[in-house]
Amino acid sequence: MTGGAAPLPRLRSRASRMGWARRGLCACLLWLALAAEATAALRVEAEPGLDAADAAATRALVDAALDRLPPRWRAMDATLRLAWRDDLPEGVHGRIHGRRIGLSRALLEDAHAGGDGPHAPPAVAALVHELAHAWDRSEGLSRDPRLLDLAGWQVRPLWPGRARGNAFGARSPDAYELQSPAEFVAVNLEHFLLDPGYACRRPALHAWFAAHFDWAPRAQACDPALPFVDAGALADAGAAPLLELEPARVFAVDYLLAGDGDAMMSRWGHAMLRLVVCAPGRAPGPDCRLDLDHHRVLSFRAFVDDLQLSSWRGLTGGYPSRLFVLPLQQVVDEYTRVELRPLDSIPLRLSAGDVAALLERAARVHWSYDGHYRFVGNNCAVETWKLLHDGVPRTAALDLDSITPKGLLRRLRAAGLVDDAQVPADPAEALRLGYRFEPWSAHYQALYETARDHLALEPADVGDWLRLAPARRAPWLERGDMRATAALLLLEHAALRREEQQARDVLKRRLAGAAPAGTAGDGALPGLLAEALREGGVLASPSGLLSLPGYGLPQADERAQAKAAAGARAARLRALDARLHEAARAWLPPGRRAALEQVEANIAALGRRLRALHGAGDGLAP
Amino acid sequence: MIRIASTGALALVLAVAVPVQASSFAGSSAGAGSASSGASSGSTSGHDKVVLQAREDAAGFVASDGRIRGARLEAALRHLREQSAAAREASDLELAQAILAH
Repeated sequence: MTGGAAPLPRLRSRASRMGWARRGLCACLLWLALAAEATAALRVEAEPGLDAADAAATRALVDAALDRLPPRWRAMDATLRLAWRDDLPEGVHGRIHGRRIGLSRALLEDAHAGGDGPHAPPAVAALVHELAHAWDRSEGLSRDPRLLDLAGWQVRPLWPGRARGNAFGARSPDAYELQSPAEFVAVNLEHFLLDPGYACRRPALHAWFAAHFDWAPRAQACDPALPFVDAGALADAGAAPLLELEPARVFAVDYLLAGDGDAMMSRWGHAMLRLVVCAPGRAPGPDCRLDLDHHRVLSFRAFVDDLQLSSWRGLTGGYPSRLFVLPLQQVVDEYTRVELRPLDSIPLRLSAGDVAALLERAARVHWSYDGHYRFVGNNCAVETWKLLHDGVPRTAALDLDSITPKGLLRRLRAAGLVDDAQVPADPAEALRLGYRFEPWSAHYQALYETARDHLALEPADVGDWLRLAPARRAPWLERGDMRATAALLLLEHAALRREEQQARDVLKRRLAGAAPAGTAGDGALPGLLAEALREGGVLASPSGLLSLPGYGLPQADERAQAKAAAGARAARLRALDARLHEAARAWLPPGRRAALEQVEANIAALGRRLRALHGAGDGLAP
Repeated sequence: MIRIASTGALALVLAVAVPVQASSFAGSSAGAGSASSGASSGSTSGHDKVVLQAREDAAGFVASDGRIRGARLEAALRHLREQSAAAREASDLELAQAILAH
């Protein structure tokens, strides 16, 4: 390159102001010409044969599109030809073959109109899209593993390579992006360059493109809180239906492993992630570990919309797989109280940056993922592995893929991602600090012995005690001291669960033989169930709560809509739940119903007894 | 391994599509291990919630004379002591008994 600055010394000679300016201009033009000769640049030339007006509009369009491109891209050494075409298929705006871009002639009108509004005109978007294909071909973006992770062509276990399809179809800006990685890159570059909201709607992709170009267009400031539909609102009218989670409030992430269950589909345990969220006002730190009420669980679940779980559909991907966000307390209840399975909470060794990236990924999965559950190939362990793999880039390099929850834990440990030192070695201490949650079933016999010794109960063991008719246990429940009464309370809860289980089995059999949903006669249960299934479906698919246009993470208006819609939906489900309980009870045979009611009366009596004993002493009022 | 998006309340049918709270189908509030059989799952204040969630843990603690001590009780004890001077004076057992009688 010959020095573009050569003319400058002459400018220092005395001259009029005008002369200065004119010579300055000339010097710059000369410099630019020299630079252009030496530096590559992207050029788009209109095919000849356009009339003057069309040529001018085309030129303006090309300038407008090039103007939006990052410096690196504009410096691309290529000359492309642009033609207006009448023969593109319906709905197709443009094509690129080699160096020839064809745009639909319909867009030429748009190019004539120009347009300086907040949104780029469709013709500019179409041209940027085709230019993006050219850039991708030269730079290989659509073959980049990290971009494929972010885009949704996910890795898979057992087999090398990636899934053929992209299951991130919900809240897409343009379904065309799911066609292929190349189209994904083109559509997303279009939005990266033209939509100021892209940074907040697809933050991880925005960051990837910004790093790729070492440049980013001006973007809006984003709300640091990530939105999730909180399933806790289904059970608690006081809970916020939309969780707005600031990653900085999450002190740690644990691998949450449910122990083996009896049912065929729970025999391998269940893999989840626990978010150790700090209570408002508490500085992130180890103290947050006991803010149990604020902790949330990320759990992939099969969304089952029929009454019988089908193994065949489970194997073949017939059930949608969705990422649910649940309160930890609810998850602990489900496992330890209802299913009598233990939960182990194993801290992961993740930096604050890792946690933020993981949560951002979780939000994308929550709002956009519509995958299919498979017992082997895409179960909870596989989904959780993929969430870590796609969310925390450094874990992608580790050999973590596993098809079982315990297998995944072993691999996380082998890869150094498990912080075992945090878990107290003393099992009692691990329970106290919430690294493990146990069902009471492990203690039933000891609890019974406490009550038996105090009250001289006849049955030899807890099994015999629980097999007594509930009415025969009742008189003994009014006689214990605080300690024996507390033990009897836990045992009566066990009796209640047993009654409920039996009631469920009865109902299941009766429902299987029942008239089709909606028919009158035997109570409203089948109809109510069908309604619950329909209503529940929407909460399993958060994007279904939104009717506003928009893609990716919901922004302010969409969050408000999601909040209102999720709240209303949860309220309807709670009401439906209450009616279901009532109807279910009416369906039970009278003997079953009486036993159930007696156990409930026993529990109420124990509560009164405990309050009386406490009142008799001078106990504290919490 | 497969986790069905449903439990408890609506799950009298096994596999209803809603990840509802693990309240029992009999309608007792799952949150409470409730002594009152009719307690429906409704709104509870943060204070009550932490205490209610600790009720079974408190029962286990009292019944085992302090040997079994779960995280929910621990959380409730800390919560009560952060809130009240009287609770800071009280022993763990006294607080557990108070939670149990709540």
